[in-house]
Amino acid sequence: MNAAPHQITIEFDDRTVRRFLIASVIWGFVGMLVGLIAATQLSFWQANGLKWIEALTFGSVKIPADGISFLSFGRLRPLHTNAVIFAFVGNMIFAGIYYSTQRLCKTRTASDLLSAIHFWGWQLIIVAAAITLPLGFTRGKEYAELIWPINLAVALIWVVFGANFFWTLKRRHEPNLYVALWFYIATIITVAMLYIVNHLSIPTSFTHSYPLFGGVQDALVQWWYGHNAVAFFLTTPILGIMYYFLPKAAGRPVYSYRLSIIHFWSLVFIYIWAGPHHLLNTSLPRWLQMLGMLFSLMLWAPSWGGMLNGLLTLRGAWDKLRTDPVIKFYVAAITFYGMATFEGPLLSIRAVNALSHYTDWTIAHVHAGTLGWNGFMAAGMFYWLVPRLWNTKLHSVALANMHFWIGLTGILLYVASLWASGITQGLMLNALNPDGTLPKYEFIETLERIKPLMLARTFGGSLYLLGYLLMMFNLWRTIRSGTPSPETRLVTVDAASPHDRMSWRELFTNEPVLYFSLGLLLCLLWFFLPNYANLGALVGGFIVIIKGVTAFQSHPHRWAVWHDKLLQNYLPFTVLAFIAVALGGLIQIIPTTLANRAESIHGRLQSLYTPLELAGRDLYVSEGCYNCHSQQIRMLVPDVLRYGRPGIPDDYSHLGESLYDHPYQWGSKRTGPDLAREGSKRDALWHLLHMKDPRSTSPGSNMPAYPWLFDRSTDIDSLPARIAAQRRIGVPWPALTSDAIKDQARSQAIAISQVLHTQGRSIPPDREVVALIAYLTKLGAYQEVGLPSPPPPSPLRQPSLQPDLPDTHRPTLGANP
Amino acid sequence: MTDPPLPSGDQPLLRPHVFDGIQEYDQRLPNWWLMTFYIAIAWFVLYWTLYYQGGFFTSDSDRVTAQLQAIHQAKTKELEKLLSTLDNDVLWAWSEDPNIRREGQAIYSRICAACHAPDLSAKLAGAPLPGLPLNDEDWKYGSQPLDIFHMVSKGSPDKTAPVQMPPWESVLSPAEIAKVSAFVLSHHVHRPPPPAQP
Repeated sequence: MNAAPHQITIEFDDRTVRRFLIASVIWGFVGMLVGLIAATQLSFWQANGLKWIEALTFGSVKIPADGISFLSFGRLRPLHTNAVIFAFVGNMIFAGIYYSTQRLCKTRTASDLLSAIHFWGWQLIIVAAAITLPLGFTRGKEYAELIWPINLAVALIWVVFGANFFWTLKRRHEPNLYVALWFYIATIITVAMLYIVNHLSIPTSFTHSYPLFGGVQDALVQWWYGHNAVAFFLTTPILGIMYYFLPKAAGRPVYSYRLSIIHFWSLVFIYIWAGPHHLLNTSLPRWLQMLGMLFSLMLWAPSWGGMLNGLLTLRGAWDKLRTDPVIKFYVAAITFYGMATFEGPLLSIRAVNALSHYTDWTIAHVHAGTLGWNGFMAAGMFYWLVPRLWNTKLHSVALANMHFWIGLTGILLYVASLWASGITQGLMLNALNPDGTLPKYEFIETLERIKPLMLARTFGGSLYLLGYLLMMFNLWRTIRSGTPSPETRLVTVDAASPHDRMSWRELFTNEPVLYFSLGLLLCLLWFFLPNYANLGALVGGFIVIIKGVTAFQSHPHRWAVWHDKLLQNYLPFTVLAFIAVALGGLIQIIPTTLANRAESIHGRLQSLYTPLELAGRDLYVSEGCYNCHSQQIRMLVPDVLRYGRPGIPDDYSHLGESLYDHPYQWGSKRTGPDLAREGSKRDALWHLLHMKDPRSTSPGSNMPAYPWLFDRSTDIDSLPARIAAQRRIGVPWPALTSDAIKDQARSQAIAISQVLHTQGRSIPPDREVVALIAYLTKLGAYQEVGLPSPPPPSPLRQPSLQPDLPDTHRPTLGANP
Repeated sequence: MTDPPLPSGDQPLLRPHVFDGIQEYDQRLPNWWLMTFYIAIAWFVLYWTLYYQGGFFTSDSDRVTAQLQAIHQAKTKELEKLLSTLDNDVLWAWSEDPNIRREGQAIYSRICAACHAPDLSAKLAGAPLPGLPLNDEDWKYGSQPLDIFHMVSKGSPDKTAPVQMPPWESVLSPAEIAKVSAFVLSHHVHRPPPPAQP
């Protein structure tokens, strides 16, 4: 081999970057357009089909159907979220990563073939999602709706991306890893971990599966994934992109290298723990809620570290803000990032969350992040990249500036009206009458009150999309004026470079890692040890921290040298980053899956569904009812008064009540009322009329009508396979033959149909609506199960191996009958 | 290896390395930023310790159950108070009072009309609604004023019936239930004559 340094010419693969960039621009438009339609549906139920044409033509055109299945909110909203997250932001980060990684590594992407597979595979996945989601094929978990064959494809393509990326790192001609690459590394490994665990399922057919986890476990895994999809799909890769493109555009050095180090490691370590803040005040065990809340508060500073490093990099370049649209977009994006990451910890405080959760405040928060932070970072990157990739000048700076101002006005209007809407509705839903015994407002009244705000939100969203269209036009004209030209560069190859030679021993036996591991271990003991022993661990932790600080202060350079060396070794860096991100999930999820289930049902055990009710539940999931209805009465007085049954003081949702629910359906937003006790509230006839025309039974409702449920036949034939799959994941269905399952389902449907007939309504028993009614009238059914004594307030009770309940209630996962 | 120089004072130090034209300063971390981080960590330790060691906090379920029990008692007291003054005759008299009837009607249109129809016929454009008609002679669960009051309050007595009216005591106060009952009574076919004036 050549020992002496020599120079070679490399040609970057910018074709892949151009492809991803164009895909992102196009999918972004599609995703936002679907979002706009979904927002309109919240104001006008007629938009859930084509009924609005009647209104627009003053009745001269008659539309027979009240709603169209594939245009209903419950199916379009998942399409919107998946499209903007995975198609718009996904393609955008791939474009940014492929562009910057080659330049930061001074090498061409390792494999053109893998890049092409990555690009086309990802687009195929998006097309598959855009077809299956409106058809109602879904797993029923937010941002994880895609069905299992597509899940496999996503995992596979992600591995292709990861392989291509790490292979490129391995072949790099730049020994040191720049901070952008740290964030890319964290993104790739963490998304793989989150995605795989949250998508573990048992298929029942080619288009349907049940998640492996159920009830509270599913809730916990889902929000560990959901929250960190925001963290590691919408934040860390964008931070990486910021670290590359912002200093390039500003022509200024990054503000602080040490801030990069501190905020990178603290961000990736702390973010993972914050997931349970999506489940505050629910029946989720208190220690997990505490971890979710307190880690979210600790996350504030690391997030702002990124914001500071972005904004302060512009010191000395602020004059460019006036002239350069790219800098405008970056500054606004980073400011929105700062705002959203301040709001996040705020919303994670249990008292604030009692008001904000299930309302539009959450939606305002997400959109400050996605429209403001992601959307504007994307716009800045596009405006900077396109002229360079096509070797030309931006078609119109004025148009880009106009995009900025229209888009900014749009976001501000959008976010402000949803803040107002969320706070208004939250206050109204939590208000009690003067003597404090009853909810003051009915649910419909709160909907009525926020109507103008919902319209303002749709208007704000339209403005944002209008700005986006200006960008599309501008970029298109720019591309037309140039030609794609490859960029070549002369780089120095030094085979004697000392990078990628760190030994495992060197990785783990050094002061920073040892002090940190020991401190962390003691902190964990502090969480989990019994009383007083835990205080010992806490004191020990303090001592370790003080020792660590003293060691650092006495020879800081030794720590700095070690970290600099770590940055020359991509695999050891990746291993450490993986350990940092894996810990939080392990500690939160494993105890919950191991803990004695019988003990953690809190006195109430869910009654098993009948086959027909299960079919109805699968319809509930497939129609996306969870997008608007929760099934969780929080441990809050207004919640129990509104949704609980009268006269039962502890009628909040208990853990055992959703024990057998695969997937869990606790929900995250109440556009309609909670349904946890629906079974004890209304009868079959009410539901029949309500599904046909929600406004006939609930005047003022904005729920879509579901006429197609009255035409389609329930899929009874697939029930045996579904029930077999449920038995395999631990739902204690009695042993039934296929025929017995189908017979049971049919006879229950006939019984419901007969009752409805005596009420003067004829509906054939085989219709989907009958199965859905069977489920809705069952919702919330449970058996009382005695508990020996109330559990003491301890973070985690020792999981005992002997369940208190006879195991017929619940065979454990491992013990397969 | 020589020690890498560390920044001192206000002099920003530019790191020697250049990545694709990007340089990095190595500025000190802002103190206020560090403080927010430290305070959040200290708050974690303090809050966790107080919660699990201090015994100052009741568990969520105990807290909410106690609050709801208090509310339940207040409601029972209110109901008892109302019932001590309320009997069939009083409700009949209320059904004659135009003010009470108006208030009752407002509640009726808001809550009851969806199932019993605005005209109490339980039919909308000829099609039956889920509720029973309230303007005919048939009173399935009793025709006396207090029967109606309890029906509205507790819902259908037969909890196994396939079609049931939900209990409204979790939405309406006892006084409101009395008023809406009075409104229904004002449409009663077998209205007794108003009580004799003393």
